Amino acid sequence: MVRSKAAWCSGGTKLDSHYADVPKSRSALAPLDVPRDVPVDVSADVKSEQLSLRDPRAVLSLLEADQVVAAKRRTHFGRQHLSFGTKALLWGLRIYVVAMLVIVLISVYQAIHAAR
Amino acid sequence: MDAPDKNSSLLAGQTAHPTTESAVASAAAPELIGLVTHEDVDRARDRWEVARARWKGRSKKFGGFRLLWLLVGPGVLVFLGENDAPSMLSYSADGSRYGVGFFIPFVILTFIMGFIVQEMTVRLGAVTHRGHAELIFDRFGKFWGFFSMGDLIFGNFLTLVTEFIGVRAGLGFFGVRPAIAVGGALVIVVAAITTGRYWTWERITLSLAIFNGLFIPAAILARPDWHAVGHAMLTWMPFPGGSRYEILLLILATIGATVTPWMLFFQQSAVVDKGMQPRDINAGRFDTLLGAVLATVFAIAAILATVPLFHHGINAANFQYAQFAEALEPLIGHTGAALFALGIFEAGIVAAIAISTSSAYAFGEVMQTGHSLNRPLREAWPFYLTLFGSACAAAALVLIPRFPLEFVVLTVNVIAVLAMPPALAFLLLLVNDPEVMGEHVNGFWANVAGVTVTVLLIIAGLGFGLATVFPKWLGG
Repeated sequence: MVRSKAAWCSGGTKLDSHYADVPKSRSALAPLDVPRDVPVDVSADVKSEQLSLRDPRAVLSLLEADQVVAAKRRTHFGRQHLSFGTKALLWGLRIYVVAMLVIVLISVYQAIHAAR
Repeated sequence: MDAPDKNSSLLAGQTAHPTTESAVASAAAPELIGLVTHEDVDRARDRWEVARARWKGRSKKFGGFRLLWLLVGPGVLVFLGENDAPSMLSYSADGSRYGVGFFIPFVILTFIMGFIVQEMTVRLGAVTHRGHAELIFDRFGKFWGFFSMGDLIFGNFLTLVTEFIGVRAGLGFFGVRPAIAVGGALVIVVAAITTGRYWTWERITLSLAIFNGLFIPAAILARPDWHAVGHAMLTWMPFPGGSRYEILLLILATIGATVTPWMLFFQQSAVVDKGMQPRDINAGRFDTLLGAVLATVFAIAAILATVPLFHHGINAANFQYAQFAEALEPLIGHTGAALFALGIFEAGIVAAIAISTSSAYAFGEVMQTGHSLNRPLREAWPFYLTLFGSACAAAALVLIPRFPLEFVVLTVNVIAVLAMPPALAFLLLLVNDPEVMGEHVNGFWANVAGVTVTVLLIIAGLGFGLATVFPKWLGG
């Protein structure tokens, strides 16, 4: 199960079960002595000229949940199932690159040899 | 509803630069030591500026100039970075060997291809907040991830070498010794990264990148035939004559001057480091379009600047960097030639910064170490060491006597084109993955465009391969 991006990209605060080891919401990243039911929304303060980021809640409220370094460290997208067709495509392109690199080497050798 | 009051108390009256230490030291946050980092704080500061600009420009179309100014960066940097020393050499070769004609509209086409693929990296970065290398490793596993990284690191290193050749050659026109030129370039690379702030790094690099426009006055001094330029734009004619193998090689090099794997990795990582979010995607598109347009204009200027060599029958087949400027001097004057040489130097230095950063981002993402320009040196030293180390190694190679620089210059753009289809395949798989992209998954036309670009690159590569193996087939 990988995360459903559509579920949180509009609000930017929800994480699904793929993030089982990560706090489930941004407010959950706050310490216990900070009231969790009080959202820190800095949108009302965009009119002000100065900002204090001393309170981590202010930092967290400006970032999307999976933008926070700690959340990114703990979570990763799951492996995508590759169909036979996709694997064949990737292998085909890999063989293409290797074959072309050999041809480039031949070409450059010829060019340098001809120049001398 | 007491939240606004709490917000006000949190945000008002602070002027000191916020740091992790100050955040942790505040009475409210003793348990956030391991959660909010210096990188988060810097990124949040950037987001706050964006939020303010968006609020102030809410009545204006596109959110106003301030918002665009804040969000412009990765797209312009990636395209002006790709107008690098070997790319400008390719454009110069186009102009000096074939004059005004097919290559003018062809360059525009290649930048359209570049815009199509780079726009996808903006969406990927803004939606996932993950770098390209990290996503490939996560979704496709280590096996394919290391293949992809191998292509990137190999291509990046070869390209970095050519950037320092450009730096050396560009300043060589003014009599600067190679060691001083290359050493000075390294100092600039280090100065840019020691700011410890993505925003500052981006603005420094952008201010350097805009000097890519030096090719415009050089082109004007070459007094281009604007009627011929207009005719070429409309008809793609005259088509180049002569050896079809050489034309194919130049076509491949010209594509490689615009669409390369490092651009995918760099722009996505830069979008992530800048902290862009899904709501910024349109601004990211504008940024990418602006970069593509500027780079197209500067690339065409490089072609036009060297057209006098074509008209005077000067054989530029084996010209390298400064030789173009030296050959142009009697035709467009010392000023024009000096501008051309400075342009080559600038192209090399900006690309050296961008490409070494691209390698460092990818390395940090794969090794899961800190990989942000918002991190101080002590927190992300492997990232900075990769960045600086790759630049140093490339610079050192350029200074080795009798090192086969010609080999590197000949191959770099071609290798970029040949390595691009697998990179594009991964990109297309990722942007079509609804579990990664959600509502921002590729649409039908974006897929048509992406697949078309990939197929064109494969055809160009196969054509090159066939022409090399069977040279008589194309009269090579």
